[in-house]
Amino acid sequence: MARMKFLCDADRCIECNACVTACKNENEVPWGINRRRVVTINDGKPGERSISMACMHCTDAPCAAVCPVDCFYVTVDKVVLHSKDLCIGCGYCFYACPFGAPQYPKVGNFGSRGKMDKCTFCAGGPEADLSPAEFQKYGSNRLAEGKLPLCAEMCSTKSLLAGDGDIIAKIYKERVVKRGYGSGAWGWKTAYKETVAI
Amino acid sequence: MSEKKTKQALDRRGFLKVASLGSAAAAASVAPGLVTPAQAYNPGNEETKARYRETDHVKAYYRTNSY
Repeated sequence: MARMKFLCDADRCIECNACVTACKNENEVPWGINRRRVVTINDGKPGERSISMACMHCTDAPCAAVCPVDCFYVTVDKVVLHSKDLCIGCGYCFYACPFGAPQYPKVGNFGSRGKMDKCTFCAGGPEADLSPAEFQKYGSNRLAEGKLPLCAEMCSTKSLLAGDGDIIAKIYKERVVKRGYGSGAWGWKTAYKETVAI
Repeated sequence: MSEKKTKQALDRRGFLKVASLGSAAAAASVAPGLVTPAQAYNPGNEETKARYRETDHVKAYYRTNSY
């Protein structure tokens, strides 16, 4: 069974932010929320690297572990999704997430932030596939359409990879072997610990 | 005057005592069968089913990313 993963090839990312824009447009993400962001480290210095970051759909997701209302669930594809009907906007998942993925539509304290929003791997939510209710709450469901997340599909430098973890890992390995260097699959050790059984 | 005040205070305390006893009795009288334990969200098979398919579209993505 395929296990969905993201992989950002930091040696190819040019910080164009097109993945961020594409995600916002495709999912009609509300103001104040960016499901995906590009993080640049060592900006302007030798060894500068940019990494496109969103929910990594962790194997043993810390957000799900701390949620007081248990609104998270994992699909057979190992995509971590949540129910906005149950979310109380407490913000615990934001503190637990090592990638800063959960976002809130409003600035506020406990309970006044609104429902949490995060990357769905373009897989919608608990509502019926491709229904208007699903789109309104969670954005598009490209996986149900037989496609992959738009951020990865439209990456101009093919830096952002998404899909079956085994296949994208093979693609990345081939790239590293061919060019002779690679800065590693950033976040994979944190998100997809090999010691944790799927 | 002071006697009246004391009487009023006693009356008030008496009311509070009765009220607290009443609420405790109401809490105790809830039938155990009506109390349902909190349950975690349990999505059905439809919500968690595999949506990923290796379509021609997805195959083309893998092929074009392999260089």
